[in-house]
Amino acid sequence: MTHPAAAEALFGLSPLVVSLAIFVLTYAVIVTEKINRSVVALLGAGLMIFAGVLNQAEAFHGIDLNTISLLTGMMVIVAITQKSGVFQYVAVKAAKVVKADPWGLLVMLSVVTAVFSALLDNVTTVLLIAPVTLLITDALRISPYPYLFSVIFASNIGGTATLIGDPPNIMIGSAAKLTFNDFLINVGPVAAVVMALTLIPIYFIWGRKLHAAPEDRALVMAFNERESITDARLLKQALFVIALVIAGFVLAHSVGQEPGTIAMFGAALLLLLRVYDKKAEDQSHAIHHTFGEVEWITIFFFIGLFVVVAGIEKAGALELLAHEIITWTGGDFTVTAYVILWVSAVLSAVVDNIPFVATMIPVIQSMGSVFTPQQIDTLWWALSLGACLGGNGTLVGASANLVVAGMAERAGHPIRFLPFMLMAFPLMLASIAVSSVYLWLRYL
Amino acid sequence: MTLRAVLLLPEPACLRPDTSLLEALRLMLDKGVNHLPVCNGDEWAGLVDINDILGELLPSSARGEHGLKDLRFVGDGIALIATHIKELAAKQVLDVELLDLPTLDEDTPLLEAALLLHRYAAPLPVLGADGRLKGMLSRRILLAHLIAQAGS
Repeated sequence: MTHPAAAEALFGLSPLVVSLAIFVLTYAVIVTEKINRSVVALLGAGLMIFAGVLNQAEAFHGIDLNTISLLTGMMVIVAITQKSGVFQYVAVKAAKVVKADPWGLLVMLSVVTAVFSALLDNVTTVLLIAPVTLLITDALRISPYPYLFSVIFASNIGGTATLIGDPPNIMIGSAAKLTFNDFLINVGPVAAVVMALTLIPIYFIWGRKLHAAPEDRALVMAFNERESITDARLLKQALFVIALVIAGFVLAHSVGQEPGTIAMFGAALLLLLRVYDKKAEDQSHAIHHTFGEVEWITIFFFIGLFVVVAGIEKAGALELLAHEIITWTGGDFTVTAYVILWVSAVLSAVVDNIPFVATMIPVIQSMGSVFTPQQIDTLWWALSLGACLGGNGTLVGASANLVVAGMAERAGHPIRFLPFMLMAFPLMLASIAVSSVYLWLRYL
Repeated sequence: MTLRAVLLLPEPACLRPDTSLLEALRLMLDKGVNHLPVCNGDEWAGLVDINDILGELLPSSARGEHGLKDLRFVGDGIALIATHIKELAAKQVLDVELLDLPTLDEDTPLLEAALLLHRYAAPLPVLGADGRLKGMLSRRILLAHLIAQAGS
């Protein structure tokens, strides 16, 4: 079946075949990780246009600028805020609240990671939390492994809870016009339950055996978290803007605004507060430096992917896939929701969830002719839960996992692929089972 | 003119790769040097740098690209450093990344040797034809030789 809009032949081949070939090639090269993923995605996007599947206007139309703006704006805000030392402050404070008790520390660091991860991207969260975790476990002379394992899990679970917590949610929210509050109300509760339940097996595997000597705990209790705040003025400015942005996200829908606008405005406001009293040259230097900290690889990866997916969407491939899924599930809504949830989870454990979600969004949109809008919303939650929680399944399931593994390796405590997976994959499956029950109780 | 004309540092004490970092550090402090050569049997293996040993005393969380930017909040950290000093005795020279330096031989022209010394912040090994370490060339030795030559 070929979409009518793309019926013209290309070099004697149908647009469907050409677009699928480019799509498969692009995704295959991305999976090999031999070439930077942003370059591969942009090349795939270019090929979609050169091959005539899309013209430039259609390609640009396929780029979701709301997602791009939201990601970029939040990256700028986080890049500035992290310099204040506030995240370090919170992590050290959390350790002291539980008097550096090893199990209490694990719970607190998990909760702090989950909360930060719900408000920031996961990679940034673990970049801020993992070094403090290593320092505290070093001082307590205990293995950092259970803590880093929990930080990984908490970052992916926390990221599931909000619109801005994880890129798949940003993409889903933008495409389906789902608000910050929608995510908080619909996936927030199950994320909290999954986080709490995940700590139970972690306690029985590691937690109950953790022990630190009183003198080592005293060392941690002597940490002065106030010294973590390196710039009090910046801290006030950043907290003010973050509060404003989060309030904006909560109220966005009722004031008819999109999250991308709010994040970008917040970023511009924080930049203004940082530079308004500086000379023009110093302003340029500071802003140039901040923009340099935006993860442009991720941004260009998204841009390329959006165009590649727009290509196969225009050619009708995704509509075809949606029909196949519905035929396969017999049009049964419950089965469709569970297929999306479990397939998303297992695939996201082994491949990047961003390309997968980019592909699945138009597929679910195509199901609008079969299911009601309320049922489609449930499919979004299934996709969100599967794609975000699935990242916990293996070390390569999410970028944050690899970042923590890299830090652990450099610190002399390597996290190996197989031992991690043997613990993480069953725990991930358990979290998906919990999500299944949640979907069943609430929506099915 | 080649390095053959230059008097190298005295016969260097080449460490075995299994020498403990604590022993290497004590030797450096005794000799007043920042680097010591490491040999695997008779073969040149690399140079251990005092900065790498200092790094071993820091929390691993503060090392590397994304490590903690400052440790002021930890306090003096004496207890932490004391723990790490004890661990130095159990760590070996091969546990730290040895400086991978270009090697010189007696036929290396002086200008080339000067260029390499300028590029690498460490003394460079001079090897014999059999691959054995003949001596270390430092900036001080080379500069002293060059000045003496220019004055004569």
